[in-house]
Amino acid sequence: MSVALVLVSHSARLAEGTRDLAEQVAQGAVPIRAVGGAEDGSLGTNAFAILEAIESLDSAGGVLLLVDLGSAVLSAETALEQLAPEKRDRVRLADAPFVEGAVAAAVEASVGSELEAVLATAEAARGQGKLG
Amino acid sequence: MSSEGEASAEITVENDHGLHLRPAADFVRTAARYRSRIQVGNLTRGDSRQANARSLLEVTALGIDRGHSIRLSATGEDAEDAVKALTELIRSNFGA
Repeated sequence: MSVALVLVSHSARLAEGTRDLAEQVAQGAVPIRAVGGAEDGSLGTNAFAILEAIESLDSAGGVLLLVDLGSAVLSAETALEQLAPEKRDRVRLADAPFVEGAVAAAVEASVGSELEAVLATAEAARGQGKLG
Repeated sequence: MSSEGEASAEITVENDHGLHLRPAADFVRTAARYRSRIQVGNLTRGDSRQANARSLLEVTALGIDRGHSIRLSATGEDAEDAVKALTELIRSNFGA
């Protein structure tokens, strides 16, 4: 059971576009959910939608959350607090850049790595420059 | 008998998009099947940067385009098999 990803953005389109990229590199081997926008469809984040996305996934292999900006962290944490403890134990919130972290995590999850290894790969993206 | 092996190869990337996102992901996934430490450098760009073949972001940052030559070098018990598999993946134009 692969690690699953939940991509949380203030923008539904950004979340969906990032999911498209991550799905392409994962070649269908990783469950990925995109969650974007506030409840009324404006820019923002929605803790309930994040919770629903996590609960829609089989968490046996673990779930990694990536967020686009720091102000999404609060919504993500609110969602995590609503999870049953045994499910909460299998979910991690990555401190990683959104696009790079999502794509790197998708590849890592697609080779069957464990949750902690997928988290580490996402977070390693923080130190990775684009221009080398 | 030593378990440490070393292997390397130089190869030209011929597929249309070089090692852009999707082929780079295939490359990283193939590298992940081996225990050896595998590094990649872009000979055409002529800098000394070495990417870890297990890191999609490091590999894509090498800017490997169609026609570029790269160098693969591996160290570990399955180094030869790893270099062979990656060379074959590139030669096959990523199965295209």
